[in-house]
Amino acid sequence: MSFKVIKAGFLACIQDAGRFNHTQQGMSQSGVMDEQAYCWANHLLENHFNDALLEITLGHVVLEALDDTMIVVTGADLDFKINNSTVPLWQSVQINSGDILSWGNVNSGVRSYLAVKGGFQTDLLFGSRSVNLRENIGNKITVDSILPCQAEYQTNVRLMDDQYLPNYVEDIILRLLPSYQFNTFSTNQRDLFFNQTYTISTANNRTGCRLKGTPLAMQKSNLVSEGISYGAVEIASDGLPIILLKDAPTIGGYDKIGTVFSLDLAKLAQRQASAKLRFELMHIDKAQQQRKLFNEFFSID
Amino acid sequence: MKIVLAGENSVIVYFGDAINPDLPAKIAQAAEHIKAQLSDWVIDLTPAYTSLLVSYRLNLVNHHQFCQQLERCLLDIKDNDTVVESKTITIPVYYHTEVGFDLACLLEEKQLSLEAFIELHSANQYLVYAIGFSPNFAFLGEVDMRIRLPRLDTPRIQIPAGSVGIANKQTAVYPTNSSGGWRIVGRTPLDLSLNNANNAYRFNTGDKVTFQPMTRNEYLQYGGKL
Repeated sequence: MSFKVIKAGFLACIQDAGRFNHTQQGMSQSGVMDEQAYCWANHLLENHFNDALLEITLGHVVLEALDDTMIVVTGADLDFKINNSTVPLWQSVQINSGDILSWGNVNSGVRSYLAVKGGFQTDLLFGSRSVNLRENIGNKITVDSILPCQAEYQTNVRLMDDQYLPNYVEDIILRLLPSYQFNTFSTNQRDLFFNQTYTISTANNRTGCRLKGTPLAMQKSNLVSEGISYGAVEIASDGLPIILLKDAPTIGGYDKIGTVFSLDLAKLAQRQASAKLRFELMHIDKAQQQRKLFNEFFSID
Repeated sequence: MKIVLAGENSVIVYFGDAINPDLPAKIAQAAEHIKAQLSDWVIDLTPAYTSLLVSYRLNLVNHHQFCQQLERCLLDIKDNDTVVESKTITIPVYYHTEVGFDLACLLEEKQLSLEAFIELHSANQYLVYAIGFSPNFAFLGEVDMRIRLPRLDTPRIQIPAGSVGIANKQTAVYPTNSSGGWRIVGRTPLDLSLNNANNAYRFNTGDKVTFQPMTRNEYLQYGGKL
């Protein structure tokens, strides 16, 4: 049971919920960029929440199914087709041996997720199947590579209710927890940070997302490098924010004004350069309540 | 000691605010203690120079409860409790301008002979202050005053695996080919990359590292590349 890669695209790699218990050795947590689309894909196949899928960035991927199975494609609209016919996203689809799955140009969003019943069965690397190219852990897909999966499939088609359908075009608000060095930023610096609209720059990838905007006046910092949480917002020496994402280094030395709520980072994962965003303060209790509900809904332990 | 919010399921514990050679062992001890006492809740521990980042399962415990329990757990540590055994790792290094791209410039600026430089870099026993930047990249300190140089203004695009670099007080080995701004002074033939999975556990914060100078012939014999 497997898929064969006909066209590898720009960047497509296997990801799961992440690599845990290894930051002590300098390995970042890695894992899917859009947790919302990822969780829906596994949920619709009745997979385990941690099952691995293929994260396809900006399309141009072609795969051939070598067996019959059930799949779900969620996330960005990258003109997904089976045998040249458009197929709905966010629902399970039966496919047959010899079917050609293709992703083309971007209609909306950035990352598409292909899940298969039972999850992809690539090698576990330090407890996770997540590929981290910056750390040389695993590889992106290449032409002729084989993506193994289990030979089991469900027969009932499940689809997501439309009320959950994300909008990848509207401007986003990233809710920010006042973490790390938040208290060392002056009122003027914070006002400028929260009252402006930032633009996503072209320097955005799985490691981080650099923003363009009016720089905060920064003094030379004496911060000693320290552990980085997913979503931490560094203000670099030039006064502009960098949001640290799944493949970010485990430690870093810039002052951090806060940490973005994970479910808002899922929205960020579907925004391209030149998209607009703003920050808004969020209380830790509210963040934990919302994330806990999300975890319960998708049976994440 | 201070506990500060770091994310929706993480907090950072500060043990001091300046680099201090006593802290890595103290932080390693705290990490072991937390692992033992709060194992049901803890996901990841990230020790660094003066701090320890702790992430936890928010399904099981909320921020306020976790901070309380963590504080209790940390106050509970006795000095002679669960002392983490540190080990000493010896890394052979070929110090020469043909692999140490910044060595000529460093010797010139510091008015040192190659022999004097090798003596100053390899006589020291270094402490692992932190692991990060990339897997297995151990930040070692402190470098002798006489051979300190700041990072390059523009980082190199490609530094070969095994390269030994200096950045002010710190020295380190690049485990894989990577970009970076440290001043390169030599290279080890040891493979410290994750190609060998055991390497993931080679260094721990609080460990000691010494560099053992080797000749060109020894370097080549051990599989070193030029």
